[in-house]
Amino acid sequence: MTAPSSATRPAASVHGWVAHLRSGGTTPWLEWTDPGAGDEPAGRALPGAQQLELLRRINLARPSSARPRGDHDRERTRLADRVLAAPAAGRGKADLPLIGAGTTGFGARPVDPSSVDAHELLRVASTLLADDLVALGPDPVRRGMPRPWRRRFQLVGDPVVATAAREHLLGRGRPEGGPRPFVVAVGGPLDDLLAHTWTQRCFEHGSRPWGDWLRFWRERDQLPARVDLDDSVRRWGGRRPFVRIVTDLDRLPEHLGVRRLPPVRVPGADQAELARRISAVVGIRVPVAERPALMRTLQTRMPDSGVAPVVVPAAEHEWVATSAARMERRLTRAGYPVVGDLADLAPRAAADRPGPSRPAGQAGVDGQQVLDLAIRMIVDPGWRTGRERRVEQ
Amino acid sequence: MSRRVLLHVGCPKTGTSYLQDVLFRNQPVLREHDILYPADRFDAHFLAALDLMTLPWGGIETEAVGAWDRLAAEVRDWHGTSIVSHEIFARATPTQVERALASLGDAEVHLVLSVRDLVRQIPAEWQENVKHRSHITYAKFLRTIRDPARDSRIGSWFWAVQEIPDILERWGSSLPPERVHLVTLPPPGADRGELWRRFSRTFGLDGLPLDLTAERENPSLGVPETSLLRTINERVTSIIAPPDYRPLVRETLAHQTLSRSVASARLGLAPEDHAWARELSERWIEVLAARGYDVAGSLDDLLGPDAGTFADPDSATADELLPPALDAISALLVEAARLRAVEERLHGEVREAREELDRARATPAYRARRKVVTTLENSPAGRGSLDAYRRLRGHKD
Repeated sequence: MTAPSSATRPAASVHGWVAHLRSGGTTPWLEWTDPGAGDEPAGRALPGAQQLELLRRINLARPSSARPRGDHDRERTRLADRVLAAPAAGRGKADLPLIGAGTTGFGARPVDPSSVDAHELLRVASTLLADDLVALGPDPVRRGMPRPWRRRFQLVGDPVVATAAREHLLGRGRPEGGPRPFVVAVGGPLDDLLAHTWTQRCFEHGSRPWGDWLRFWRERDQLPARVDLDDSVRRWGGRRPFVRIVTDLDRLPEHLGVRRLPPVRVPGADQAELARRISAVVGIRVPVAERPALMRTLQTRMPDSGVAPVVVPAAEHEWVATSAARMERRLTRAGYPVVGDLADLAPRAAADRPGPSRPAGQAGVDGQQVLDLAIRMIVDPGWRTGRERRVEQ
Repeated sequence: MSRRVLLHVGCPKTGTSYLQDVLFRNQPVLREHDILYPADRFDAHFLAALDLMTLPWGGIETEAVGAWDRLAAEVRDWHGTSIVSHEIFARATPTQVERALASLGDAEVHLVLSVRDLVRQIPAEWQENVKHRSHITYAKFLRTIRDPARDSRIGSWFWAVQEIPDILERWGSSLPPERVHLVTLPPPGADRGELWRRFSRTFGLDGLPLDLTAERENPSLGVPETSLLRTINERVTSIIAPPDYRPLVRETLAHQTLSRSVASARLGLAPEDHAWARELSERWIEVLAARGYDVAGSLDDLLGPDAGTFADPDSATADELLPPALDAISALLVEAARLRAVEERLHGEVREAREELDRARATPAYRARRKVVTTLENSPAGRGSLDAYRRLRGHKD
């Protein structure tokens, strides 16, 4: 039976629903008909609709457990209490009251929790995941014994490729840097470079949303520091014979002194957006210097969902093409040795790329996909309890 | 001595900056009288509020890690009266309020809320939005806050920090009414010292030898100045990051330049909005009176002044915008010149360091060693030999 949405229900009904959710229940608030099934817990403020609805979605997503009942119940209650106490991060709405829960007439307008949008639920979910990540701590960095004969290099350019290569090589005893290194600038289609740069930023110090970030650079008619290859090379003091502009990634390993590099996995749009939100909360939980290591840990442990990476929307293609042409001219004039072809800096045509999970030309990330991933990570602690993922696809 | 905590949680635009500045600068005097205002920097309680509420704030929040717990620990350890004050605490949710009050230990908590009439608060909050990068027009701002859904970011924030009965419900519902203190702002034209006298009485500061010099205030802007700033925001908000916006636009332009035009028309409410704000205020006064809080001032102060002549900032003419625009250009040029001087000085220091390095490298022995290293670096065997040599010498690369 569905209760009338506008009818005011007794306080015991609200607390009964909270108790129902704490014990793993999944009944939506408007379908909750028990008028007085719960006692008011002493000293506990009523959570907002965001926390309550997130808990209900988590309960819906939880698999039935084969573990002993007592352990399962304790773990479920512990998680439920964490969800109910978690603040919705950021300057969004305050905790929203439940429709029909007998409010005083002041404060935010009561809502049906099932109508709370993904963005609001993600504000709570990202707090939970950030706390999980902080509790987990950073994975140790694998460092191989440095090979004395290694080629000295300084990697710049595509941050996703450079970060993955840097970590792999460090583990193989080939750390970046050293005396008189080759400055190896990893290039590629400029729209991919921009998408990779934003994606990697989400797994470092966080960023603005994808669309805002792109607009920031387009309106300035500038390129981010790591995307601007010419500027990156100059910043690292690269001199012509000791510079390589690499656009052919198959030939990147030889310029780093190895035979091969593992394939690079570009995080999906949902992963990047979730990381961006988690990063914002981690920034208020740990000193700023500790955030990159935690976010690196998240990057290697975050489960895959198969969602494609972000793409540059069609509206920005003209600016990206102009910027790519300008960068190509500057690199040509500088005369740096090129491995591949500078023409490859031109943005990839939209039709060539793998199908994005949203209509072409939209810069936004699908909030529901991000929420699904967040709930999956809250429900399944495998990403925290397992070893870090070693195989990159 | 009994332990008390005076928790001042809002509202914004009620003279809080001045109060916090006086408390911050007079910490030693206050301590001598057993009053603690625990702050190692002016914005310490702002950071504590960000931490308590998990509130990212343009990057500043990274300086707030653990700030609430540190503040609460100092309060718990203090033997006398402690004061905690920041206006954005007003936005805390019931769960956050519960955590905050629990972390203050067994001290007697008194809640303080300084309040001003909506007739003046609404224009002031719009100005505050404009000083925080927003380019929402005044008309749209009014439509937004009058929308009962409160769905927008601006609407939900405005009411979270300005709806007095709701703030007091969230913060004060577990306290007896005599421990909830409302400090009303005196009406326009009142004696300038009256607000301080009300604060002083509420916080128990009467008779203390405090330095009350106004060093830090949050000045308001006139109508054309706010209109100009909003127009500037339309151009720059998307391309100037918050860490640059704060010193260049809010400080240099808004606070140090545009707020000096005291002759400009002050922003108010159009007649219809004024009537709506008045009606809402009357309802609030009725509710607050029934709750029996301690009031410094009068609840009637919340009615606000009568409607005056309304100058609409959305229709400011180019002629009206020109003088503040020229002031803004001048101020930014002066700031640019100052930054150029800083840059030039830094370049000079780098130049001197390089010259010193070059002098050290100018010896024939150094040039010979450099030649050998360069040759060896060009082959794997050479790099291996160099690495072995460096290990023997204890160098690290």
